[in-house]
Amino acid sequence: MKPVLWALLLLAPVTGLARPVSYVGGWTLIEESNRQSTSALVHYTPTPAWSVGLRNEWMRDTDYLLTAIQPTYLLKRWFGRDYQANIYLHGGLGVATATSGNPLGSTAAGFAGVMADWETRRLFAGYNARYLDAGHFGDSAMQVFRFGWAPYEGDTNELHTWLMLEVDQRSGLEDSVSITPLLRFFKGPALLELGFNLTDPSPLINFTFRF
Amino acid sequence: MTLFTQTLSISLLLIVPMLALAQHDHHETHGSHSALDHPEAHMHHPAQEQPEQTDAEGPAEMTTTAEIEAALADGGKPVVAEVLGVVCDFCATAMNKIFGAREEVAAVYVDLDTKALNLVLRPEYDLDDSTIEMLAVQAGYRIAAIHRNPAIAAR
Repeated sequence: MKPVLWALLLLAPVTGLARPVSYVGGWTLIEESNRQSTSALVHYTPTPAWSVGLRNEWMRDTDYLLTAIQPTYLLKRWFGRDYQANIYLHGGLGVATATSGNPLGSTAAGFAGVMADWETRRLFAGYNARYLDAGHFGDSAMQVFRFGWAPYEGDTNELHTWLMLEVDQRSGLEDSVSITPLLRFFKGPALLELGFNLTDPSPLINFTFRF
Repeated sequence: MTLFTQTLSISLLLIVPMLALAQHDHHETHGSHSALDHPEAHMHHPAQEQPEQTDAEGPAEMTTTAEIEAALADGGKPVVAEVLGVVCDFCATAMNKIFGAREEVAAVYVDLDTKALNLVLRPEYDLDDSTIEMLAVQAGYRIAAIHRNPAIAAR
């Protein structure tokens, strides 16, 4: 890949709409399953601005498994009494390995992305994008917009419920743009999202746990 | 236009104005905080980083829980810190983990309604303002004000 393109990718977007940097010393498990892939990321946060994790992602449509070290950097956080907003950069380097009888073997792979969100206790807006180069398995790009509304304000350790709408665009899929309504349930260190893609009928199941 | 180009364009359109706004905020307000601001600096120069800081017997009220009431009954010292950016349970979990691990802290509770970190310090210990600020940064948040003698309110 051309160096200029790699340089541009450092400014390009990622994956995962749950906060990818935790508190110092914290571990986080993030599972995501959407119409294109199923992934698990375990990360550790050594400083307030960085997390480093191990990502495993099964690209179901192209039959390969991505295993990568993923650093995530909190580029900017805005604080207000009633809101928080963030911009994160993330990337990863690893190996893509064929699955499900795919004869392509394995190859080096890398990705880069950006994520941004703005959140109050009742409203949420997020953007997330990633470019992935998986060598002879091909490259792909995705971007996701998400909007959410909480019908009530949950207090500490209560169940928080969100109604959300996700619009994604993914290269290489027959329906490049799709819409997924989903429910987010949030309590203490655990977050669960359940949705169904209306355009490309498939479930969305995301789970995050901090410990 | 390829999806990659579209993605990159949207990303840049999103990020550049936000960073410009952030730079503006950095000069004119204290409502933003960058990871690039080197949070460790709070440990050394809290007065420069936290001009909103107060340490007064202000109007803040402490939200009580059974744990907090027990700690107060044991002679603990109440502290209420107003926190910026606390909007969800992950925020509360982070603050509980960071502050709850300190031996100075007998009880901790983050109230999302009041956006306050409620601490009860053990009688034999203390936590100065700069340490509280530094711990909040480690949790990913920022202190707006600290009240050392808050009113005690029933939850």
